[in-house]
Amino acid sequence: MASNSPPPGNTRPIKPWDRPGTSSGPTPFKPPSNGSTSDVVEASGTAKPGEIVNTAERNVPANTNTLARPVPPRPWEQNRLGGYGMNYNTYGSGMYGSYGGYGGSYGGGLYGNSLYSGYGGLNGGSGMYGGGMYNGLGGSFGGYGMGMGGPYGDRDPNNPYGPPSQPPGFWVSFLRVMGGVVNFFGRIAILIDQNTQAFHMFMSALLQLFDRSGLLYGELARFVFRLLGIRTRPKKAHLAGSGEVPGNDGKGQRYIEGPKANDGSWDNVWGNNVKA
Amino acid sequence: MAVFKTPFNGYAVRFSPFHERRVLVGTSQNFGILGNGRLHVLDLPPPGGSGGGLLLPVCAFDTADAIYDCAWSESHESLAVAAVADGSVKLFDASLPASSNPLRSLHEHSREVHSVDWNPLRRDSFLTASWDDSVKLWSLDRPASLRTFREHAYCVYSAAWSARHADVFASASGDRTVRVWDVRDPASSLVIPAHDHEVLSCDWNKYDECSLATASVDKSVRVWDVRAPRAPLAALAGHAYAVRRVRFSPHRESLLMSCSYDMTVRLWDYRADDALLAAYDHHSEFVLGIDMSALVDGLLASAGWDELVYVWPHGTDPRAVMP
Repeated sequence: MASNSPPPGNTRPIKPWDRPGTSSGPTPFKPPSNGSTSDVVEASGTAKPGEIVNTAERNVPANTNTLARPVPPRPWEQNRLGGYGMNYNTYGSGMYGSYGGYGGSYGGGLYGNSLYSGYGGLNGGSGMYGGGMYNGLGGSFGGYGMGMGGPYGDRDPNNPYGPPSQPPGFWVSFLRVMGGVVNFFGRIAILIDQNTQAFHMFMSALLQLFDRSGLLYGELARFVFRLLGIRTRPKKAHLAGSGEVPGNDGKGQRYIEGPKANDGSWDNVWGNNVKA
Repeated sequence: MAVFKTPFNGYAVRFSPFHERRVLVGTSQNFGILGNGRLHVLDLPPPGGSGGGLLLPVCAFDTADAIYDCAWSESHESLAVAAVADGSVKLFDASLPASSNPLRSLHEHSREVHSVDWNPLRRDSFLTASWDDSVKLWSLDRPASLRTFREHAYCVYSAAWSARHADVFASASGDRTVRVWDVRDPASSLVIPAHDHEVLSCDWNKYDECSLATASVDKSVRVWDVRAPRAPLAALAGHAYAVRRVRFSPHRESLLMSCSYDMTVRLWDYRADDALLAAYDHHSEFVLGIDMSALVDGLLASAGWDELVYVWPHGTDPRAVMP
């Protein structure tokens, strides 16, 4: 890259905060080391070049005791440990039918993962044949490991491990598509995650709207029934106090139509219907 | 002052550390959920005012998946790095034609890469934070990552180098913690249970080695002192929804900028009693990218899902076209 890029000799303007005289007292950090970052890290003995992050062994022993609450599992790996067979069954059983099933479908996300990490390992071409990739393949693909050699053979004809190249089989392309679908929902899930409040408020506003509109329609219905002269169930306050709905006093003086229900309240209407 | 309409939805914007009139913008098709990404290099119009208030495109690079974050190299004026949603990290050289880019494509993360930050002090390395719970340290002189930092229990949304210590950085995660790391130590130096919700962003104070700010889904920005991490130095409330990004000013010690899903960009002085200095509501969709120029005091930039990039001096209306 050094040949492609301008030489590092061109000077970057100094940062405003780099000017002397802005020290802030004692700090808890060890003084910075000299040398390039790679030299510093390698000298400290913590370097581990090219580590592929395998999500299957994600939860390394870490000091997570400061977490306030347990962290929920990522939506796309809810049944991650179920392995290929279980994921496949999930696919077969219409997982998008309900919201609950939506979470379950993310199990397949693992499938996309393994695919991609293997892909990266081969394409990177920097000595990653070692652990991560093939373990990952073996672990999650199970019996399909050999079949999967095909598509990657395309990319790397010198691959000594796989069988000769074949066009991707039905299941491979199917699972690739499913991997894409799962990725798609994973990103939406993260977006909803980041918008927890917005999503919550949106849903509660929607529910409130339904609630309010229910009230509204109730009132409207009551009003229409009164116009028609049908006595609706009086409220409790009316039972004790004013007694009757005022519309019934004049026996239809103010109304075009006479009373439809001769006797009793709305409840009795239904009751009669049931009996009849 | 100057505006640019990108074809995709904006995700990140950064001022060049070399050129005071140049910005880098990372964008994604279909809100970053499905589709391609594009990295734009844009220039502010020359001071004469002939540009008509539009940013001038210099070049653009396409990627096969959404770009969630981008950063300029601190060592090469035309080099930039993009965090791509397919888990790759791609290096572009703006001085080369699109056919010879990307210079490198680094595939080690197994899930979307959400943040990238270049070391401003040592200038030869950068960090990437990913949804696979890890942070990776890369150097230009190595073909693979130098180190992987894996302690977070959920997606890592952001990693930021300290501006005053070349070996120290912080990472913000969905597990509600912020961790402070020294690249020479095997484990994190400090864990701050910073918020009650996911922490989406963090940044270091440029003038105080021990101070950092965090932004969270709980709608607040908090400022912490790593020597006393039990309680925040300041809690800045005002955003109506999750705060997506926070950045300290390169010029003033207590000045902060934040952007949020409530579609506003806010400036804060965390030491003042009335912390909120300004609220800009020029975007009509989520604001995901902000930056403050290190070369021009008070020059701000923002990018959002309304496909617009704004660059404006603090105190003016971003929508006002430059005279």
